[in-house]
Amino acid sequence: MATPKEMMSTWDKIQFGAILPSFENPEKKLKSKFNSFNYKVADWRVEKPVFNRELCIDCDFCWVSCPDSCFLVEEVENKRGKKQAKIVGINYDLCKGCGVCVDVCPTPIKSLLMFPEFTEIDEALNQWPTKDNK
Amino acid sequence: MAEKYQLKSKEVWDGNMAASHALRQAQVDVVAAYPITPSTPIVQNYAQFLADGYIDGEFVMVESEHSAMSACVGAAAAGGRVATATSSQGYALMVEVLYQASGMRLPIVMTVVNRALASPLNIHGDHGDLYLGRDAGWIHLIANNPQEAYDITLCAFKIAEDQRVRLPVTTNQDGFLVSHTAQVVEPLQDEDAYKFIGEYKSLNPMLDTKNPQTYGAQTEEEWHFEFKATQHKALMESTSVIDEVFAAYEKLTGRRYSRVETYKLEDAEIALVLMGSAYETAMVAVDKAREEGIKVGLLMPRTFRPFPYNEVAEKLKNIKAIAALDRSAPMGAMGALFNEVSGALLANGQSAIMTNYIYGLGGRDTTAEHILEVIKETDKNKEAKKRVTDLQGFINLRGPKLSFN
Amino acid sequence: MKNIGNLKEFACTPDRFQGGHRLCPGCAHGMIVREVVNATEDDLVISTATGCLEVCTAIYPYTSWDVSWLHIGFENAAAGISGAEAMYKALSRKNRSYNEDKKVKFVAFGGDGGTYDIGFQSLSGATERGHDFLYVCLDNEGYMNTGGQRSSSTPIGAHTTTSPRGRVSYGEKNRKKDLTMIMAAHGCPYVATAVPGSKHWKDLAQKAAKALSTVGPTFINALSPCTTEWKFKPQDTVEIADLAVETCMFPLYEIEDGHKLTITYKPKQKLPVEEYLSRQGRFSHLFKPENSWVIEEIQKEVDRYWEYLQRKEEAGV
Repeated sequence: MATPKEMMSTWDKIQFGAILPSFENPEKKLKSKFNSFNYKVADWRVEKPVFNRELCIDCDFCWVSCPDSCFLVEEVENKRGKKQAKIVGINYDLCKGCGVCVDVCPTPIKSLLMFPEFTEIDEALNQWPTKDNK
Repeated sequence: MAEKYQLKSKEVWDGNMAASHALRQAQVDVVAAYPITPSTPIVQNYAQFLADGYIDGEFVMVESEHSAMSACVGAAAAGGRVATATSSQGYALMVEVLYQASGMRLPIVMTVVNRALASPLNIHGDHGDLYLGRDAGWIHLIANNPQEAYDITLCAFKIAEDQRVRLPVTTNQDGFLVSHTAQVVEPLQDEDAYKFIGEYKSLNPMLDTKNPQTYGAQTEEEWHFEFKATQHKALMESTSVIDEVFAAYEKLTGRRYSRVETYKLEDAEIALVLMGSAYETAMVAVDKAREEGIKVGLLMPRTFRPFPYNEVAEKLKNIKAIAALDRSAPMGAMGALFNEVSGALLANGQSAIMTNYIYGLGGRDTTAEHILEVIKETDKNKEAKKRVTDLQGFINLRGPKLSFN
Repeated sequence: MKNIGNLKEFACTPDRFQGGHRLCPGCAHGMIVREVVNATEDDLVISTATGCLEVCTAIYPYTSWDVSWLHIGFENAAAGISGAEAMYKALSRKNRSYNEDKKVKFVAFGGDGGTYDIGFQSLSGATERGHDFLYVCLDNEGYMNTGGQRSSSTPIGAHTTTSPRGRVSYGEKNRKKDLTMIMAAHGCPYVATAVPGSKHWKDLAQKAAKALSTVGPTFINALSPCTTEWKFKPQDTVEIADLAVETCMFPLYEIEDGHKLTITYKPKQKLPVEEYLSRQGRFSHLFKPENSWVIEEIQKEVDRYWEYLQRKEEAGV
C-alpha cells in the first residue's frame, strides 16, 4: 500500500471534496489505500506486547480492550459447535504499545507481556516467566 | 406522492412566496431551516405546503441557523436535494458551516433574504449578509424582484447539482423590498419546473452504506492548499454551467438571464454598477437622465460569485466614468463592487473614473431622484475627464455631507 | 437487536473501526467506539464532533472508518446526523433508498466539549425533534484534544490548564455537569452511562445494542479515561475506568423513557474515592494536607449521588 508520501499528489489528482472511500472494492470489502488499516503506527512503540498462544485461554479481554483493533482473530467452532474467537496474534503495524492488553490479561501467568521493541519474538517467548518465577 | 399545486399562469406573489414555490417544485428531499425576519415566510409557506400535502420531503425545524446549515450538510452528504433559507444574523450564525458545505462540495441551495447586520439591530434590507458570505465558496446569485427570485431559485438547483460544479448556491433577494412586495409572477407548472431541474444525481452519498465514504477529513499544510485551489477552480469554472442553465431556462420560459445584466449600456458614456432591487429604481433614473441628454447605462453582476471580471470589463470598455453603488457598510475600505469593478478594469488594461456610493443601509429608501443625483455627479467626472466628485459618498444620509477621498 | 452473547462470540465481529488512527496509546476512545460500532449488524452512518476522535481518525489521506462518516464542526455533530437521518426518511418515503435491503442506523460521537458544552444546543435540539439516532459522549472530562482545558464535565478538584492547581488554587472549582440526567429529562427513550474495558464490556455493548435498536433519540455517556491529560500510564486505562465505577465516581446505570432508572452494576463494596483520585496526576495536589477538605467534599457528593440513584431505582418512578 502507498505511503502518505507516495500518495502526495497534485491539485488536479486529489480526492474530490477530500472525501475518502473506505473500500477500493466495496463488494469484496477490499480496503482502499486511504484506509488507515494501511497506515503504520509501529514507530510509536518503545515496548511491544508479545503474545504467548500456549498460555492463552481466549477470554478475549485483550481484543475488547485494544483501542487500536490490533488483535488478530480466527473464528473457530467450540465443542458445542458454537462459533468463537481465537486470538492468533497481534498486528504490529497497528499496535502502539500501550500495554492495556497486558494489563487486562487474566491468566495466572500472563499470556501477553511487554518486551523492548527490538526483542525477537522467539527470544521473548524463551524468557517467559514460569509458575515459580512469574 | 405530493399533491400537484394548482397554479395560474400569473400569480401575485412576493419574493418569499416565489422562493417557497420554487423550493416546493424542486421536490427538495430535506429542508432544514430556522425562521428569521425577513425570510420567515419562506419557512412558514413551506410548512403550510407540507401541512396541505404538497410536499413529501422532510422538513426539519431546527433550533438555530447553525444547526439548520449543519443539518443541511448532513442531509446533502447523505445524498439528496437540500435547501434552506435565512437572513442577516441567521446567516452570520451559519457562516462557519457555509465553508464546510462548500469545502465538502455539497450542492445546497439557500435563499438569502438580504438584511442588515446588527449592531444596531435592524430587520430591513441591505447586502451586509451577502457580503459576509462572499469568500465562503458559494455561488451567489442575485434576484431583483419576485419573478427573478422564482426563476433564479429554480436555476440554482440545476447549477449547484451539476456534476461539473457541485457547489452550494445562494439566491439573494432584498429584504422587504422584494421579499414582502407582491408582484405578478409567471410560474411554471409543477411538472415543467421539476423536469427543468431534473432528478437529483448523487455523488459519494453517505447513505450508500455499502460503499462508505468519509466526509470532513482533516488536511493540514500538506494538502489543504490543493483542496482550496480546486474548490476555487470549480467556482471559477461554474460560469459555463451557469450560462448553459440560463440558456435552457430562456428556452423554456422566454425569460433571459445573464451573468452580467445591463440596461442601456450599449451607447453609454457613463455607467452605474449595482445589484438588487435598486437596480430597477436605477432604470427609472437612467430613463430620466437620458431625457436630459446624459448617456448613462447600468450594469449588474447577476453572479456576485463567481464575479464575472472579464465580462464586466468587456461591457464597460467604452465607459468613461463609473459609479459603483454598494448596499453594505464598507467599514474601512471602498465597497466591494467598487473594488471588484476597478480590479476587473485594471486587469484588462482599461481605466475609467471610479467613484463609490454607499446607499440603502438598513432599508434606507433610495429613490430614482437619489440615483439621478449620482448619475449627474458621475457625468461631471466624465465631462471634467477626471474625478471632481468625492471618491466615496453616502446617498440619503441625514446630516452634513459625509464623504471620503 | 444484536444478541451480544459472550465475549468469545462478540470477538468474532469484524472490526468496522480500523487501527492505524492517531489516538494516543491506551486511549479509551478507541475501545468505546469499537464496541459501539460492533454492537449492531445494521449499516451505520456516523457523525463526529471536532475533537480527539475526529482529528485522529480522518487525517487525510487516511480514514479509520469502514462505515459512512461525517465531520462538520465542534458544535454540530447532532445537527449533522439529524440531517442525514432526515434524508434517510425522505428517500425511503420517496422509494429512492440507496440500499433497500439494509437498515441504516445513525450515530453521533462527541467529546464532552462537543457534547456538554459547545454542542449541547444542537444535541438538545436534535433530541427534542425525536430523530432516530444514538449520541455517544466520549467523556474525558475536558478539552483534551487541545491540551487539557476545563469543560463543564471536569470534576471538582481536577487540575486542567484553564483550572490549574496553584499556590492558592485546588484546581477546578465547579462540580461536573450531570448531563446524563439532563438527557433523561428530554424524555429520551433510552439513556445510559458506560465505561470501556474488559470488566464492563458487556454492559457497554448491551447498552449500545439496546440504544441502537430503540426508535428515537438515545444517549450514552461513556467515561473515557485520558492517559495524556489525567496523567496515568497508558496501560492503566481500563483499571482507571473500573475504579471510577467501584468508587461510584461514575456509576453505571440506564434510564428508560426518561424516568425508569436501573443501576446496571453495583460494587460489592464501594471503594473510597481516594482509590480513584490517587491514581491520576490531575488530582495529585488534593493529597496535600491543605486540600484534604476537597477530597472530603468529593466523597460526600459521591455518597449523596449514589444514594440518590439507589433511591430513584427503588422508587421506580
